[in-house]
Amino acid sequence: MTTAETPRQIAWARRRASLARTWREFAAQRTALAGLVLLGATVLVALLLPLISDESGLNVTKATGQPLSPPTGEFWLGTDNFGRSVLLMTVWGTRISLLVGFSAALLSVVIGTLIGITAAHFGGWVSATLLRFTDFFLVLPSLILAIALSAVLPKGVGTIIVAIGLTAWPSTARLVRAQTLTIESRPYIERAHALGGGHLHVIGRHVLPGVMPLVLANTTLVVGNAVIADATLSFLGVGDPNSVTWGLVLESALNNGAISRGAWWNVLPPGIAIVLVVLFFTLVGRGLETVFNPRLKK
Amino acid sequence: MGAVVAAATLAAIPLAVPAQAQQAKVLRVALTTGIDHLNPFTAVLAASTQIGRFTFEFLTVPDAAKAEASPALAESWTPSADKLTWTFKIRSGVKWSDGQPVTAKDAAYTFNRMLTDENARTANGNYVANFETVTAPDDTTLVIKTKTVQVNMNLLDVPIVPQHIWEPVKDLKAAETDDVKIAGVSDGPFQVTEYKPNEYVKFKANKDYWRGAPKVDELQLLQFKDTEAAVNALKQGEVDVINRLNPNQFAALQGQQGITTNAAPGRRYDELTLNFGVTDNANNPIGDGNPVLKDFNVRKAIAQAVDTKTIVDKVLKGLGQAGGGVVPAIYAAYHWDPSDAERIKFDLAAANTTLEQAGYKKGADGVRTTPAGAKLELRLTGHANRSYDQGVAQYVTGWLKDIGITVKQDLVSDDELSDRTSTGKYDLAIGGYGTNPDPDYVLSLHTCAARPSPEAKGGSTDTFFCDAAYDDLYKKQLTETDDAKRADYVKQAQARLYSQIPTIVLDYQNTLEAYRSDKFAGFTTQPQPKGAILEQTGYWGVYGATPAGTANAADSGSGNTVLWIVLGAVVVVVLVGGGVLLGRRGKSAEDRE
Amino acid sequence: MTAPEQAAVLADPGEHRGGTGTARFVLRKLLEAVISVLLVIVLFFFLFRMLPGDPVAAMTRDRVTSPQQIAELREKMGVDKPVLVQFGTYFWNLLHGDLGESRLLNNGRPVADMIGERLWPTILLVGSATLLAVVLGLWLGIRAAWRRDSLFDRTQTGIALTLWSVPQFWLGLMLLVVTGGLFPSRGMHSPDAAPDVLSQTLDVLHHLVLPCVTLLAVFYAQYMLIMRSSLLGEMNADYLTTARAKGLRDDLLRRRHAVPNALLPTTTLVFMQFGQVVAGAVTVEAVFSWPGLGQLTYDALHGPDLPVLQGVFTVLASAVVLMNLLAELLYRVLDPRVRTS
Repeated sequence: MTTAETPRQIAWARRRASLARTWREFAAQRTALAGLVLLGATVLVALLLPLISDESGLNVTKATGQPLSPPTGEFWLGTDNFGRSVLLMTVWGTRISLLVGFSAALLSVVIGTLIGITAAHFGGWVSATLLRFTDFFLVLPSLILAIALSAVLPKGVGTIIVAIGLTAWPSTARLVRAQTLTIESRPYIERAHALGGGHLHVIGRHVLPGVMPLVLANTTLVVGNAVIADATLSFLGVGDPNSVTWGLVLESALNNGAISRGAWWNVLPPGIAIVLVVLFFTLVGRGLETVFNPRLKK
Repeated sequence: MGAVVAAATLAAIPLAVPAQAQQAKVLRVALTTGIDHLNPFTAVLAASTQIGRFTFEFLTVPDAAKAEASPALAESWTPSADKLTWTFKIRSGVKWSDGQPVTAKDAAYTFNRMLTDENARTANGNYVANFETVTAPDDTTLVIKTKTVQVNMNLLDVPIVPQHIWEPVKDLKAAETDDVKIAGVSDGPFQVTEYKPNEYVKFKANKDYWRGAPKVDELQLLQFKDTEAAVNALKQGEVDVINRLNPNQFAALQGQQGITTNAAPGRRYDELTLNFGVTDNANNPIGDGNPVLKDFNVRKAIAQAVDTKTIVDKVLKGLGQAGGGVVPAIYAAYHWDPSDAERIKFDLAAANTTLEQAGYKKGADGVRTTPAGAKLELRLTGHANRSYDQGVAQYVTGWLKDIGITVKQDLVSDDELSDRTSTGKYDLAIGGYGTNPDPDYVLSLHTCAARPSPEAKGGSTDTFFCDAAYDDLYKKQLTETDDAKRADYVKQAQARLYSQIPTIVLDYQNTLEAYRSDKFAGFTTQPQPKGAILEQTGYWGVYGATPAGTANAADSGSGNTVLWIVLGAVVVVVLVGGGVLLGRRGKSAEDRE
Repeated sequence: MTAPEQAAVLADPGEHRGGTGTARFVLRKLLEAVISVLLVIVLFFFLFRMLPGDPVAAMTRDRVTSPQQIAELREKMGVDKPVLVQFGTYFWNLLHGDLGESRLLNNGRPVADMIGERLWPTILLVGSATLLAVVLGLWLGIRAAWRRDSLFDRTQTGIALTLWSVPQFWLGLMLLVVTGGLFPSRGMHSPDAAPDVLSQTLDVLHHLVLPCVTLLAVFYAQYMLIMRSSLLGEMNADYLTTARAKGLRDDLLRRRHAVPNALLPTTTLVFMQFGQVVAGAVTVEAVFSWPGLGQLTYDALHGPDLPVLQGVFTVLASAVVLMNLLAELLYRVLDPRVRTS
């Protein structure tokens, strides 16, 4: 039996303990916890969908229902203009909507983190320029930039992801910059510099781990925004027509006279799905922020 | 909650708005397309052209019964023996709304302005491009000389404007030319009284109109962002007539109390064009079509896999006819339908066999590959904002998937679509054409000569079809004077086009309109008996609007509206309730000390 | 959109502290704003040049044009010149108030005119919605923070979070359906309203209700959450504890100290979020056929009418930059901490 623990083991133990503490703090917020559970369930359903449901129901030539039929025993949420089950479309819509949300958020957070850290770490004119650049984009309405991008790029899921991802990063950048400045003012960073740690070392070993928790919280919130942005772009007619997303289901319902026909079952489910998923993300994000953001702690 | 409070406060306002006594008989028409100008010289968009038709009189107009040239400002017209000089006898006694008489001089001025001023040619320049001179020897005679024979001389779609108003206007592009003071001086059945851009145009009836005063006192064109909003407004009684309905909206309005629907057989055919390796008129290949469509067997398999009947039933909800030839069914004399022997029947199994035999084997993923190993993947383009195109795209994608062809939908803006189809940058495209009573135009679209030049100019085709047998039949019908024989050639040409599958004619849609029958007894349609109210070339619909006797339009709050309100209330309760619950369920850590 | 808590971080008042003189500060901010506007112009110019296709071909489609006319148009539009020369021309015209001509929507009409006639409806909508959202949001935020953990606080926070998760266009559609004819569904004027000023004003207000409520519903929620969290932050500050210890009454404390201090970051944020309100107006105007810039954007997207889109976006973005400049200058004037430092 060894008695002495290696530094690595110590670090691991410390990390585990801090993780457990974080979890306790997070789980103490019951709304955040509820949000996390519901969100997890949604993601799980989205992932397992091909195993439990048949995609062919989304194919209009295979549709079995009457067009725009109200909810029945067979179709719990009624059918759309082509006789497809709205329930099926709403559930399948989760996949692409979440995919767009996550990918766009990831893209934007990566850009934001890179710019934020660079702006804080290097100082001088690089920092000043990046900061101005960030402020410039922070002020511009991101939705309008996203509309412009999706109007000029070819239509597709990729375009939507790029359009949202490229326009949503400035707030992340600001946040990361502030956090990086805080971390870098701590004495051990100076020590690391003094010990000959290069930029990469300092950023990789000290700044990034310190910034990560806040970035995680931020990502969660950005995903929710991206889901809304995706639906909005679809509504404006610049979305991707090839994939089933909530925005597309809504747009096609509106285009096909679902409201005139009083087909509320075409308009409510995708809308409510958006509200719920965004709400889950918001609750989790707020919970994480409360845990990680020193400014919000009491 | 605060929002609700604010809404409730403001909701009191409508009570304060004085409900104007509805003594005057007003016809409210919903507009779902834009207006660019009131100035008839520069008004290009369809709705603006229509305003010109309501307000200005033309030399001749297409009549209500058959859309053939009929007298308007011109009582009669006669061509010279060489058909190069046309003499119009102008009606006397017609007055502009400011009291000045309308004479042949006004007509001559209108055309001469177009000949001398580039801006005046913006809207209708194509009619005068071939004019030599236009003169008015006296107040009732107008003489037009053309450079070469011009076929449309008996139907010049040009509004005649008052010379005394427009002569002082130097710049026709100036904003004030859209002013009611200038564009409002007119001689048609209605006169513009107010124009609020992007909102509405108001007209008053011309009591001195030479055909007799319209039966309504006022006409309003109200702008809506889409037909869905317009349908809503019709239900609420905010408008009286709407058009451009989609089948669902039409079905929603059928049988509603106080609303009558009008489905008129369409003059348009819808098609799915296949890029079979298209060329310009010098036979150089253009565009980037998938070469696999050069194979007749692939085109045949696609034709076997597209069920026009299902498209009519499901996408058009039965409001149209399944397609055959390119001449729509309303022109019965020239319309062609394949016989049972000629027909390519919908049969997915047969389509699969066709592809199998042609050497396209199915892979493990169900997608076929060419003998060279490339996957069969086709792009499908169409109008992004048309629900018809969206529906057809869905079905075509579904069917072709069943025969092992992957379809990538890429519906685009109207502008981009015509860009792609005119340059051959597509595989499959959803398109169509509006046609005329005479089949010449629609047949000419598929001749070799209709293809664009190598500079991508002058093309009018969308099929890029070029076939000696077809061109031969086209020329024969052009010179044939015997009606029955000509009709036969026209049908043979359509059969030839059908058999080569450069395009699949999907259907002929009906024109769908609806109006408040509790306020209006009827409208003059064009053509008659079963024609359209608003989709016409003329003013017959609004001019012939007959108010319902005494009917006081009761707001028909249908069961649907109530249902919506209840459901909406449920949503609000759920949202707010959910919020309350969220708030109650737990406190976030930040709230704790 | 930015999450309220994040937003509180973004509006860090600490960053505004600096020892520079007021004149230098104002000059620097002005310069920054000018650079920002220039960037906006450059950004949208090159963004809309990315689109494939020949603008001249697009303009002359469906019209009879001679090769000579086309050549003239090419010359006039300068499409054959290098991009930088084109930009120079565009910029020079822009300085003279010329944003180019519409291509599809309104054939050949100056974009500047089209924007001009749409400007006021948008200002009215965005202005009234912002104003109401600020008043409502701040009021609810203060009350919620002051009575933290009360039923009122939890309910209001819950509602705000939910509203914040709703897509704006969907909310608009639902409101339209739910109110079922109580309010007009389109436009800003009714053609039947009497011509006197009072009737016209009431008519416009009547039309304004639904779009304004839709727009403010989402933004009031944001302002409320921000106000609430910054006030909570202030209330923990040392000086308040001291004041309380001195026996100052609670409501006096709230009014004299906590609220004014918490108001500052919130107000800045209101201005910073102005761009998002403008973006929100795009979808809301489209839903209610409100004759403003948003509706114009919606119509132009379906062409797409690129010169119009470019013009509208450039104007909107520049307006947002200017509003932000105003906010920063105001902040300087209002914040005692900044002034004294």
